[in-house]
Amino acid sequence: MKLLKILLLAAAVAAFVSVPAWADQGVVFLAGLVIIETIFALSWNLLFGYTGLASFGHAAFFAMGAYLTGLALRTALGVPFLLLIVASGILGAVVAAIASLVLLRRTTGIHLAILTLALAEVLRIIISYSTTLGREDGLASIPRPSIDLGFVMLNLSHGTAYYLFLCAIGALLAGLLWVICSGPFGRTLVSIRQDPERAAFIGINVGRYRLLAFTLSGGAAAMSGALYAPWAQIVTPESAHWLHSTQPILASLLGGAYSFWGPLIGTVLFSIINYLTRGLVGASEIVIGTILLIIILAAPSGVAGLLKALGLRLSAGTTNEGKKQ
Amino acid sequence: MNAMDLLFSLTNGFATGMAIFLVAAGLTLIFGILKILNFAHGAFFMIGAYIAYTVVGTFPSSLGLYVLAAFVAGLVVAALGYVADRIVLQRLRDVDEAYMLIATFAVLLICTGVVKIIWGVNYASVNPPPLLDGALDAGGLLMPTYSIFLMVCGVLVYLGLDFAIHRTWLGKLLQSVANDSWMSSLLGINVPVALIATVIVSFFLAGLAGGLLLANQTLSLLLGESYLLLAFMAVVIGGLGNVRGAFVASILLGVIESASSIIMPNMPGMATYLFVIIFLVIKPQGLFAGHQV
Repeated sequence: MKLLKILLLAAAVAAFVSVPAWADQGVVFLAGLVIIETIFALSWNLLFGYTGLASFGHAAFFAMGAYLTGLALRTALGVPFLLLIVASGILGAVVAAIASLVLLRRTTGIHLAILTLALAEVLRIIISYSTTLGREDGLASIPRPSIDLGFVMLNLSHGTAYYLFLCAIGALLAGLLWVICSGPFGRTLVSIRQDPERAAFIGINVGRYRLLAFTLSGGAAAMSGALYAPWAQIVTPESAHWLHSTQPILASLLGGAYSFWGPLIGTVLFSIINYLTRGLVGASEIVIGTILLIIILAAPSGVAGLLKALGLRLSAGTTNEGKKQ
Repeated sequence: MNAMDLLFSLTNGFATGMAIFLVAAGLTLIFGILKILNFAHGAFFMIGAYIAYTVVGTFPSSLGLYVLAAFVAGLVVAALGYVADRIVLQRLRDVDEAYMLIATFAVLLICTGVVKIIWGVNYASVNPPPLLDGALDAGGLLMPTYSIFLMVCGVLVYLGLDFAIHRTWLGKLLQSVANDSWMSSLLGINVPVALIATVIVSFFLAGLAGGLLLANQTLSLLLGESYLLLAFMAVVIGGLGNVRGAFVASILLGVIESASSIIMPNMPGMATYLFVIIFLVIKPQGLFAGHQV
């Protein structure tokens, strides 16, 4: 199983890296968006799949990172791009920490959903009111940066160059999140999701872990936004809209919220469905809605859960493999 | 701001509040009894609006036809609600809250796709019928007759629901189901029938609201979404599942919306969201917590 997983991941990385070699620019652009949205979805799922908190306003963090980076690149202050990504992450994390101090004190479930949604909408209204941030039109023609690594200068102004950079940094961020989630920290979060009361009973500081999870998640979401600004070269208030907040939710559930790589599978599937149904008005909503419904009603663990079940069944068939499980 | 402006903004707010309540009524009913927060409500509201539009066209010939179209929309959406209940809602009774939200969101997506296919993505608009296109001059206070119509509809729906829930046999039965459906079933109440009746009434209200709120707005795919958020907030502030709470909360939100359009005209919706955030942080259980339905 483990070997298979590693092989699959390697294949996924190879597939992503090879996209510019065989596809046209439009598809490369979509593949780049998939990487960005995957990081976004992974950050959301750290909250939902691991900690059991559903945020309906996660687009706010994404927009923060996107606007910060977009603004800095446009004004050409000469701030290194990598530093901007880190700064976006810190901004998102700090805002998430402050917000969760208020939010998580007594609200979970539906109240948390409505509160996060309302907070994100407030941010969106402020953005569309701010002249510095371009009001409803957003920030257009954001230049793509160059990265000075000391010994070599990476010029990312070309689409393919930036795409390969996205692959690298996407893998790095996803890897970091995976390390965080699969260690003792992630396990503690899962125990809180499964039963906060029992977790508290065995001595886990539930409030502090939820706050930490929220902070990390906000930071990662803001970093995905920072990657988005120079890729799309335009950032609009739509990026903070609550419908954008539903994207990581749908992707995570489609792929499987209780599996770390579920959001990746979901985001890829989503983009493929959208791409295949692009000519048919209304078809993508119907297809995605139907698949989501089937998954929630019949297989709440998502595509990743189905694969896992399939894998278990296959390995149980051959006795040697079965014992290893 | 002089007294007349204030009065104008208050009545305007009340009309907006009634528009919100028309959508929130079905939402809070289904939450009170089935414990499902139905994201798809906005979509069915939108379908109701489109059906009524198909019946009356761009220029409704009379007020009677306009109201009739709303009822037709309500009935069709109620039938759709029955189908949605059999396929989806029935299976969501014992699922985690987050999954309910997402499952009903999936229904919302499907409905949006269907509306796109049937009615297209172009904007349409409907004029108010005769009698509702003017304004009434009450001692210097100019009130659009359409606003008065909305107020009357909102109050009627509220009174009807309140009476049905607190004064009729069926309402009391539903209250007992909402409080403890297991105990109710032991006492010989046919709980599944009670639940499906709730769904049908709730969806009927969604379709009816779509038809009644049809005039004076652009009919587009964003229609459901714009009212849905406000209605959601009214339901949460009212104390989830409580019709009286939703009524009071709708008026509050309507007045705040209307006042903020005078004080902060550049930031539509801002005051409402801030109010909701502050309210929920201070009093997350809502206005009338503890009262079922």
